Amino acid sequence: MSDIAIQHELLRAAVDRLPADRLSSVRQAALSQFSACGFPTARHEDWRYTNLAPAIERSNAWLREAATVQEYRQVELPTPAIDAYWIPIANGIAGDIPPELGELDITVRRLSDAGADSTLDTSEAMSSFNAALLRDGLKLTVGRDVRVEKPIGFLITDDSDTQIRLSQVRIIIEVGQHSHIRLIENYPRAESSNGFTNAVMQLELAPQARADYLRLQDCHSQHIQIGRLVARLERDTALHYLSLDFGGGLVRSDVEVDIAGVGAEVSLHGLILAAGRAHIDSHTRVDHRVGPATSTEEFRSIVNDRARFVFNGKAVVHAGADGTDAHQANHNLLLSGQAEVDTKPELEIYADDVKCSHGATVGQLDELALFYLRSRGLDREQATRMLTGAFAASILSSLPIESVRDALEDLLLKRLEKLTAGDLS
Amino acid sequence: MKEMLEIKDLKARIDGTEILTGLSLTVNAGEVHAIMGPNGSGKSTLAQVIAGHEDYEVTGGTVKFLGTDLLELAPEVRAREGIFLGFQYPVEIPGVNNAYLLKAAVNAKRLHQGQSEVDAFEFLKLAREKMKVLGMDPAFLNRGVNEGFSGGEKKRNEILQMAMLEPRLAILDETDSGLDIDAMKAVANGINALRDGDRAIVLVTHYQRLLDYIEPDFVHVLSNGTIIRSGDKSLALQLEERGYDWVREAANG
Repeated sequence: MSDIAIQHELLRAAVDRLPADRLSSVRQAALSQFSACGFPTARHEDWRYTNLAPAIERSNAWLREAATVQEYRQVELPTPAIDAYWIPIANGIAGDIPPELGELDITVRRLSDAGADSTLDTSEAMSSFNAALLRDGLKLTVGRDVRVEKPIGFLITDDSDTQIRLSQVRIIIEVGQHSHIRLIENYPRAESSNGFTNAVMQLELAPQARADYLRLQDCHSQHIQIGRLVARLERDTALHYLSLDFGGGLVRSDVEVDIAGVGAEVSLHGLILAAGRAHIDSHTRVDHRVGPATSTEEFRSIVNDRARFVFNGKAVVHAGADGTDAHQANHNLLLSGQAEVDTKPELEIYADDVKCSHGATVGQLDELALFYLRSRGLDREQATRMLTGAFAASILSSLPIESVRDALEDLLLKRLEKLTAGDLS
Repeated sequence: MKEMLEIKDLKARIDGTEILTGLSLTVNAGEVHAIMGPNGSGKSTLAQVIAGHEDYEVTGGTVKFLGTDLLELAPEVRAREGIFLGFQYPVEIPGVNNAYLLKAAVNAKRLHQGQSEVDAFEFLKLAREKMKVLGMDPAFLNRGVNEGFSGGEKKRNEILQMAMLEPRLAILDETDSGLDIDAMKAVANGINALRDGDRAIVLVTHYQRLLDYIEPDFVHVLSNGTIIRSGDKSLALQLEERGYDWVREAANG
């Protein structure tokens, strides 16, 4: 599709300039791996609808400017209206770690220190790109029987309002047996952006562990954000995941859940608001390797202007994974004639005793409902907000972290107001 | 008497088919009019055109509401000015809370009329009172608008909205259809409660059954998009006994 390629010599030079530490050999291995394939193109089935040319161009510009000095730089942003143990991550590098975490039996180490005993996932091109250029990352180890109400939040920012900035974020989270934690991956909005954030989150749940996970992507409309969550679930674990895309220019989000233990329970929900020329791509894959286990998934999008949303939700039920319960749904609302949705829920079933379903809809606002509301005195904008709000609310009702509800509902209302007015800048 | 609604030679069509073919009707404040007629005669079209449904194209005539040109106004402005349409098929809006819509509607009207927004406590109190009159469980306030409501519950909900909005002119499109006798009485109570010298009500109905509970001042027969006969309440009884054919024959003759 595009002839733009990453400038490999510059990339190699950038990797070589990174300090010699415990990640050095991992970077070199990842670089070889990445160099062999490069950025994914439209020829890859998984990337059919998402053209990474803008991400490659921005990467090359960053490499050319030799802006490879990667350091933590505090970014001035309002503190999120969400109560959490916030770990600031700027330009891919973590700042101060809240000391309270240690008291809760949650150990946080930098990958440059912990590198040797962690395996960085590089099973996909963007993840090997991430590992090759990774300045540093974090590893959280949650002990056994740890139950923490207050979420642990990653506040991920960069200084791309003043320069081109490429950031690699890598966080490994291991949750011990019978522990329950809440996580927030937050990309707040800046005034402007010339940035490209490529994040890989690795989550491992030991038996009977539970993680409630919120991804909140509210970036500037020029920001490029690629992210991947790779989760591995042992016996009797639960993962409740909600992803909110309220901003961003070019966004690709992958969630890959590997059900490796019986009795696992997975729910994946997503709400996408896209306006202007935003391109948002959500891919999910749940591998049911054993059964019984359940996975339910519902993603909804509201797309205006010339924006585009791509959905691919796949559940693979492997041979022998009897007793699997897997359900997927994707519902989309187009607010303009030029908005586009490409949706593909997929089921691959190699076991016999399973309960599976999937479905997708693409529709417009119900004109009859609009007229009904207008006949009650609400103007068109107000009626549109009410209907889109109701459409969105059913996803927000699946919010896994109750304490953030008020803040998110406020934000959703604000973003919907802009979306229905066709402005998500 | 004060002229509320003045329709002159109204012609309207939908998808190229002419439905209203030159309809004239005057409704004064304080009056109750019943509009009857067979299926397809244009009763619902008339109601929708007055409320401002944009699928209907007005091709001729005028509609004045309290002296101003109604056809110039957006549907929401008509509502805020005091026109209420009770839908024949109230729309289900899952996820929009019934109380939330009611309050938004009441506030839209109040702001339009230069008043402040309604006090939340007063609003709920008033809504509960009105629901009691209509025999509605207050739990309906917290459900999605008409979501999963039975036919009768939907019609009661329409009357609840009307009661809260206190319109000057209520047009009720087959509000009686699908109601059992208790629901009919409850709905009629709600409508009668609105009757006073400053308001007007137009009942669009198939049957004279509802008119046993709400006595109309005038009864009109609609056929092929125009009023072919007007009379007092006895006309409704005659129609019940003899059907519509004799009126049509008389009109053609």
